[in-house]
Amino acid sequence: MPVDNSAKKILIVDDSKVSRMLIRSHIMAQRPDWITSEAACGEDAIAMVDVEQPDFCTMDINMPGIPGTDAAEQILAKHPSIKIVIFSANIQETHQERARSLGTILVSKPVTEKSITLALDYFAKA
Amino acid sequence: MNSLSELHLDALAEVFSIGAGRAALSLSEIVGDEVRISVPSVQLINAEDINAATLSLNSGRFGAVNQHFSGPFNAEAVLLFTEEQALKIVSDMMGSQMAPEELAEFEHEAMCELGNIILNACLSAMADILSFTLESSLPHYTVASADEILYKLRQDSNQPYVMVLHIDLAIEKRHTAGNLVFLLSSASLTNLVSHVDQFLGKLS
Repeated sequence: MPVDNSAKKILIVDDSKVSRMLIRSHIMAQRPDWITSEAACGEDAIAMVDVEQPDFCTMDINMPGIPGTDAAEQILAKHPSIKIVIFSANIQETHQERARSLGTILVSKPVTEKSITLALDYFAKA
Repeated sequence: MNSLSELHLDALAEVFSIGAGRAALSLSEIVGDEVRISVPSVQLINAEDINAATLSLNSGRFGAVNQHFSGPFNAEAVLLFTEEQALKIVSDMMGSQMAPEELAEFEHEAMCELGNIILNACLSAMADILSFTLESSLPHYTVASADEILYKLRQDSNQPYVMVLHIDLAIEKRHTAGNLVFLLSSASLTNLVSHVDQFLGKLS
């Protein structure tokens, strides 16, 4: 499958600054032209999507405020073309099922080159 | 070395949150239902400053699972719940049909297993992410008063630093709160920080 290398916008949502740094660093290594923006909670992410209009989004689940899965649901209801990958250390079946029901995928933390590749492959199929 | 930067604490909170996720997955397979474990905060304090408020210890008896970890740094890890909460967790782990007198019989074994799962999940996440290897001793469970626990935490002058993780645990929608405490020597804390710095250095 040909990979679209044109500059895309991605929103990284995670309450941990270190986790956001890690995700950004791995994405930049594989997609140096992409434009990243960051949000530290679901509520900020919902507001930022309206302004930034990203193509893709990575979403943590456990954050202060609303869970990332609820934020993803609200974002997709308003912007169905955005592709979202849920990143979580909590990979129990209930979370995987919720991610699937939203039309997203759940990728397990820790964030590594391998997990970012899974996310990028999912975005590439979009 | 007597403090950690905000970025160090953020990195450790993320590491332990990943560990908590792994522990929740293991526990959910035991209880056959969803388990939520979160680590809302990480604190580093001097052992001499630790008190009942730091660990939310009130009156009553507490169940403590101790495990020793060794590697690039050594740590005495203690997982603390009130005994009442410990018994509820045991009930969830063993199945609700069990009579209260039978529960007490399994308390020791079930709490050791719970401690083993949570402590090893947290420490193995740390070892994986920060790229080192840690060995662990067998878990040991004791029931003690708040004063006895605080005395024990403060008494070892070779381990003057205490890293405290507040833990929220929910099994079958029932919430309990506990603490995970790591006792660290000065050298161990320095080594831990050095590994966190190496990890952070790769990100910049």
